[in-house]
Amino acid sequence: MSLEAAAFWGLALVLLASGLAVVLSKNLFHSVLYLALALVATAGLFLLLQAEFLAAVQILLYAGGVITIVVFAIVVTERLVGERLVQTNRGIVNGGLVSLAVLIAIIIFVTRATLPQTPPPPPADLTQAIGRDLLTRFVLPFELLAVLFLAALLGALFFARKEE
Amino acid sequence: MVPESYYTALSAILFTIGVVGVLVRRNPLVIFMSIELMLNAANLALVAFGHRFGAADAQVLAFFVMTVAAAEVAVGLAIIVTIFRLRRRLSVDELSIMRW
Amino acid sequence: MMRDVLAAFVLLNVVVLIVTYLTYVERKFAARMQSRIGPYRVGRPHGWLQPIADAIKLLIKEDIVPALADRPVYNLAPIVFLLPSLLIFATIPFAPGLGLADLNIGILFFLAVSSLEIVGLFMGGWGSNNKYALLSAMRAVNQIISYEVPFVVTALIPVLLAGSLKLSTIVQAQEGLWFVAYPVIGQLAFVAFIVATIASENRVPFDILEAESELVAGFRVEYSGMKFALIQLAEYTHMFGVSCLGALLFLGGWLGPGLPGWAWFLLKALFIFLLVTWVRWSFVRIRVDQILGLSWKVLLPATLVLLMATGFWVALGGGHVA
Repeated sequence: MSLEAAAFWGLALVLLASGLAVVLSKNLFHSVLYLALALVATAGLFLLLQAEFLAAVQILLYAGGVITIVVFAIVVTERLVGERLVQTNRGIVNGGLVSLAVLIAIIIFVTRATLPQTPPPPPADLTQAIGRDLLTRFVLPFELLAVLFLAALLGALFFARKEE
Repeated sequence: MVPESYYTALSAILFTIGVVGVLVRRNPLVIFMSIELMLNAANLALVAFGHRFGAADAQVLAFFVMTVAAAEVAVGLAIIVTIFRLRRRLSVDELSIMRW
Repeated sequence: MMRDVLAAFVLLNVVVLIVTYLTYVERKFAARMQSRIGPYRVGRPHGWLQPIADAIKLLIKEDIVPALADRPVYNLAPIVFLLPSLLIFATIPFAPGLGLADLNIGILFFLAVSSLEIVGLFMGGWGSNNKYALLSAMRAVNQIISYEVPFVVTALIPVLLAGSLKLSTIVQAQEGLWFVAYPVIGQLAFVAFIVATIASENRVPFDILEAESELVAGFRVEYSGMKFALIQLAEYTHMFGVSCLGALLFLGGWLGPGLPGWAWFLLKALFIFLLVTWVRWSFVRIRVDQILGLSWKVLLPATLVLLMATGFWVALGGGHVA
């Protein structure tokens, strides 16, 4: 087994195990830690797919940003009241059935896709290509993203403001 | 060389795990994390396909997904915390107060 | 393969050794500032064995785990805290060709990995199940989110000037003029970098998360022995890593006359470390809301304006775009 294959199987195992743990863990704080692990494992898979830029952004944005905010929300909502919310689940059977259907649908969909048999050589400097694409072909979504961020900022501020 | 189809299979399973989380769990924070898992799975599939086609487009799209997810977390968690402040407990059943 | 592993092993040990002695440098420096002598008894001359003695002392101390702690989280926290600090050295070029991996996205890798440190920090804060530790971790989360953004923005200014994310290319672009000597932009960016560094390293005057007088010792209040040593090591390693980054981004890395490249590099990193230490022993701690206000109302807008100004400057042909 080559080094790459070993890395893939290792990361895949970590990713699936931690993904399951996020969903199944009874402890909210453990869930978020497993989520962090899953996100880092995904970054590792991005590295295997030669997407270094995306791997770095993934860690910077998710692990540095998203996880931190989720932890903050957990601390705010869990510790202010004395007893912790009992985590109950609902409709496990129905939920499982629907999820199974989703999985089958995805598999059918994916197997129908036609892919080129041999991958063409990737651009010499992918990071440079991404940067160029962002500011030329994708400049409109890029700018819209800026507007979205402004809206998100205002929205978060609205909820955080003091009650008058 | 690991074929891209392995990555897409992995992504499909991860996505399904996320779906289970959204459907089965009651705590909005866990649902939130499950949504992150699903977005992550979608990104993985995008990057895998992009690798196959040898183009940067997929990575640009994945980049957009990540940034939108970050914005979504900021607003979504602000809403959750606000609801918690009003209700003192946290369950998606409480979210019915948001209709009008 | 074997060579890479060996190189990583050597680098790891050299970094840990340097960091161990940084604590000694800091203690001596602080002592001088306060007209004291500092550690003197262990090892002659000038107590040079003190850091080794400290390490041995911490190693043989009893390891205490609080009864109500979240055990796995509590036990893993120091390791999760230490790992990112060590990993950031993988991409740092100490001299031309002297470094583990000079990645194309070197600076992005550095920023991304070093932001993982926060995970270990709040694992420790939460896992201890102690109100001081939790409060400290909350403050840390607040402060680190707030200062991460200006830190990244200031780090982008040299990237714009050099036109590359690769750390060695950024250094090469400073061949003629170090970025700190760049008219106006360079000095302002350097000052912003130092402020953001002090804040993201939680040093005085931004050390609200360990604030001895109110939070006892912050998130590590329950840690003892080996785990305490690991946390301490992680903090100093991260500090040293950021000093190295500052030396690469603003002070021209290994460039300099006479001495070999790595010596210049270490001297410059030491300079930034001492600058931060100097601030630490000169100022008093400020309040939480003042710290957050400083980040969002002053530092972030200022660095954004600076970044835009740099962009215009480069667009007008002022940078080193390759």
